[in-house]
Amino acid sequence: MTLLTGIGIVVFGALTGVVSALLGVGGGVVMVPFMTIALDLSQHTAEGTSLVVIVPTALAGVLAHRRHQRIRLRHVLLIGAGGVVGSLAGASLALGIEGEVLERLFGVLLALVGLHVVLTGVKGTRDSKGPSTGEGDR
Amino acid sequence: MSRDLALAGVGLLAGVFSGLLGVGGGIVMVPLIVAVARLSQHYAHATSLAAILPIATVAAARFGVDEEIHYGVAALLALGSLVGAPLGAHVMARVSEGALKITFGLLMVSVGITMVVQ
Repeated sequence: MTLLTGIGIVVFGALTGVVSALLGVGGGVVMVPFMTIALDLSQHTAEGTSLVVIVPTALAGVLAHRRHQRIRLRHVLLIGAGGVVGSLAGASLALGIEGEVLERLFGVLLALVGLHVVLTGVKGTRDSKGPSTGEGDR
Repeated sequence: MSRDLALAGVGLLAGVFSGLLGVGGGIVMVPLIVAVARLSQHYAHATSLAAILPIATVAAARFGVDEEIHYGVAALLALGSLVGAPLGAHVMARVSEGALKITFGLLMVSVGITMVVQ
């Protein structure tokens, strides 16, 4: 990796942070295509790398939210308990699927999330009240 | 009790989504938490961020076992994100959100379609 590429990746990471805060979507949907298209990583490696980035980013989000919104540990543990079973199964499934197929699946997700963002944008423009929930990793 | 089960079910679904596609899963988790547990959007959002921690950690570990992680890229992206996120929250108040969402949303749709049809 050249120095220039390295700087480019940091800048893109910062843009991801800004864009996900603005759009109210998580960094994953933005980072994965960046890594496959601009950095030429495989779909599998892009997904694994995205998950690694999400952990500290979500942690920063939790710490930032802590003062405004108290959450119940019980709720987090219940969701997390189901969640780790699901994510282990999902990741194993992803690793068993061919890269091309996985990339198509991801494309469907990206298009749907994009459509959702467009619709919230149209809605926001129309009634122009209440900015969306905004920040954080979704 | 049935609400507890529903929350665990939401986690299961969001977890599969997260592990399969390499994303946090908040986009499915937040509306589901609101729907099944009748909690506020704001609370659901904060809760989903916390729940993403174990979910993404386990999924990342599974990808790590198969050596499908580029740690150098991850470190640089994380560095940028941690700087960018508060910046985003800061500029959010100043921009016309609607136009921006429509523009970026359309970009996401077209990249998504390109990934599907290529």
